[in-house]
Amino acid sequence: MSRNSFSVVIGQKLALSVFLIGKIFRFIFFFGFLYFLLVGSGNLAGYSSNQIIFFFLTFNLIDVITQFLFREVYNFRPMIINGDFDLVLVKPISALFRVLMGGADVIDLITIPPLIILTIYFGSLLHPGLVQIGLFLILLANGFLIATAFHIIVLSFAIVTLEVDHTVMIYRDLTSLGRLPIDIYQQPLKAFLTYLIPVGIMITLPAKAIMGLTSLPEVLIAFLVGLIAIFISFKFWNYALTKYSSASS
Amino acid sequence: MRKYWGVFKISFEQEFAYRLNFILWRVRNVFQILLTYFLWSTVFANPTTQIFGYDRTKILTYVFGIMIVRALVLSARAMDVSSDIAQGDLSNYLLKPMSYFKYWFTRDISSKALNLIFAAVEFSVLFVILKPPFFFQTNPVALLAFAATIILAILIYFFLLFLISSIPFWAPEIGWGSHFLVTVVIIESLSGSLFPINILPGIFQSIVLATPFPYLIYFPVEVYLGNISGPALIGGLMVAIAWTGVLWFTLNFVWQKGLRVYQAIGR
Amino acid sequence: MDRTVIVDNLVKNFEINQKEPGLSGAFKSLFSPKKKTVNAIRGVSFVIQPGELVGFIGPNGAGKTTTLKILSGLLYPTSGFVEVLEHDPWQRKPEFLKQIALVMGQKNQLWWDLPAIETFELNRAIYEIPRREYEENLRELVELLELSKLLNTPVRKLSLGQRMRMELTAALLYRPKVLFLDEPTIGLDLVAQQKMRDFIYEYNKKYAATILLTSHNMDDLVNLARRVIVIDEGKILFDGALEELVEKFAKEKIIKATLSKEDGIADLEKIGKVKKLAFPEVILSVPRSATAVAAAELLQNFPVDDLTIEEIPIEDVIRKVFKGGLRK
Repeated sequence: MSRNSFSVVIGQKLALSVFLIGKIFRFIFFFGFLYFLLVGSGNLAGYSSNQIIFFFLTFNLIDVITQFLFREVYNFRPMIINGDFDLVLVKPISALFRVLMGGADVIDLITIPPLIILTIYFGSLLHPGLVQIGLFLILLANGFLIATAFHIIVLSFAIVTLEVDHTVMIYRDLTSLGRLPIDIYQQPLKAFLTYLIPVGIMITLPAKAIMGLTSLPEVLIAFLVGLIAIFISFKFWNYALTKYSSASS
Repeated sequence: MRKYWGVFKISFEQEFAYRLNFILWRVRNVFQILLTYFLWSTVFANPTTQIFGYDRTKILTYVFGIMIVRALVLSARAMDVSSDIAQGDLSNYLLKPMSYFKYWFTRDISSKALNLIFAAVEFSVLFVILKPPFFFQTNPVALLAFAATIILAILIYFFLLFLISSIPFWAPEIGWGSHFLVTVVIIESLSGSLFPINILPGIFQSIVLATPFPYLIYFPVEVYLGNISGPALIGGLMVAIAWTGVLWFTLNFVWQKGLRVYQAIGR
Repeated sequence: MDRTVIVDNLVKNFEINQKEPGLSGAFKSLFSPKKKTVNAIRGVSFVIQPGELVGFIGPNGAGKTTTLKILSGLLYPTSGFVEVLEHDPWQRKPEFLKQIALVMGQKNQLWWDLPAIETFELNRAIYEIPRREYEENLRELVELLELSKLLNTPVRKLSLGQRMRMELTAALLYRPKVLFLDEPTIGLDLVAQQKMRDFIYEYNKKYAATILLTSHNMDDLVNLARRVIVIDEGKILFDGALEELVEKFAKEKIIKATLSKEDGIADLEKIGKVKKLAFPEVILSVPRSATAVAAAELLQNFPVDDLTIEEIPIEDVIRKVFKGGLRK
């Protein structure tokens, strides 16, 4: 299924290459900015340079992999409007799976390995123990779970309201606040980012795990939030399907 | 002249037709500012910190100043020229007795007017909530220079947008991609939106200051703050004027060529 | 000025990139694009007088829309001479643009999310129409096109027919001397089509505007254009009155007969092609030159009660034109 979209992608190779260059530039610029900032100021909110950079890399890891997997979500609105969604619902493959992951972007595969290598490198500079690494990976998976839940909610919302772009952009803007540890934000923004749109749980917490800065209650709450999120999202998806009115030509 | 007033009015109305879109745009602007504000607030958490020649007051004034300058300079509609060309709607405008450049410039001004109103409101609200230390400029020379830099910034941005939007004449597929690369990524990073350019070490700073980008945000704000004056000010203005000229000539050249291609293909 | 449009030996070639299907084709087109030259117009000449209503007809891809675009200045000719209202359209001078209008079915000039009246106001400003003239023109057009209740509705909420009428209004607000219409009735239902045709006819009569329209729809031509120019594969095959088209290109005539007895019906095939056989009516088509002979034979050898000789219906001829049946 993704192979078909690969084909289309290579056909638009030039267009996506430009996007790729844009994404790489954006990464380099912010990375460079953080670097110079930390060189000048030494530390930020009590975290060392390496730690700050690790927060940034964790954000990118989740962001890039999520975008890689869920690129099809951006295609959902046209799909509903021109009636292709009907065809999807009729096929034997789970409709949710199709509209969520059907459009994996081959270009992202280029960016993911270097990102992983960088993450491992800077992670190693923090000398984490096995427990910390394990916790990091589990919390990272939890973060992906929450991201998945969120994208499912976006799709469900789209079925009812035909709006996709705005909700997704808000999500992207909020998660981009996670480029830095959310500790730097003042209340009430910080609480908002911790509990409501759980950027803190998705991004800051796994990174903190590597640094050995998490407590058991925090971790348990994180998993709880993850499970609740995924549960709610499935419920919402099924509800939305009942509300689906096919596009009239 | 009346023509363009008509364009201004209809463009203004059009923004209201896309209410949700516009509100979202403002919300995203606010998020950007918040990220930048809190970042610097944290860096300068200790009130006595002095880095790169900035202290807490100056840096937070810089951040708040960006809000207004962004609304003035970076609010624009001219990136839509891209789709006009790619989808052939340009033909409709070629049939009208009206300059296509002036048409879009008017639309940009209309957008800036609306955005400025909202930015002013956001400024006031955030000012009350965050209570940043803000420096109000009173030196008339600085204010005059500031006005000049804003005008140059608006022109530079307009020409840049138009240039990037001309790419679809030859390669319609990368129209949006090119805007992402230049308009979103490069300009966000190098214009001074995120950080003042002078935190970069010497050689990098010189390179960036030779490009047109810092003259969009960084240069106007610094002139307002009085951080750039005298010979540095004159020098900066010269570079900005030079870039305005270069971009204008390049745009004209590219546009002539592009129009020829467009009218050869006849989309 | 006695001639509104002069076209002499117009040639227009397009260069397009060829893309082969599949993955390998996509790669190839990126690194070594193949260019193909399309000869859209291959030497076309005609003259149009002020106030004429001319229809361009031809099969898809014949060059009709391309011709209109060149006449309005959107495309430049590869070679040849073009003059409209004593201007070179390609220069796109403001004085020229204020006197012409091009209405294309697919490309709207109306602002999509706003009521049409806003676009009209904008055009008033752009074309510098004096207020009083604008109000008067608007009133007349709105009345003629029955749009008074729709002026404040956002354009995206209008039906196709309503939108086309709004587009027409927007184009005619400044009373252009020349009106180019590209497929004005496409996508409209029969009633809307007729209304559109009536409007075009009235407008041409009342304001003596020169109107060039392209069409695919034979009703447009039969009921509207007095003069037709047939274009196929970039060349003009015919330029003249509609009736002459039939005479020149219809190679056959129709014989309609009423028979009193059914005997020997099978032998009808010897006289001509049987188009319809429903006793007692029979319709034959015979070559033009052999009509008299065929009629005589019919009368001699068959029990004929009644017989008439007719031309092939215009529609059939035009249908042939659209299918490219006139190519030599």
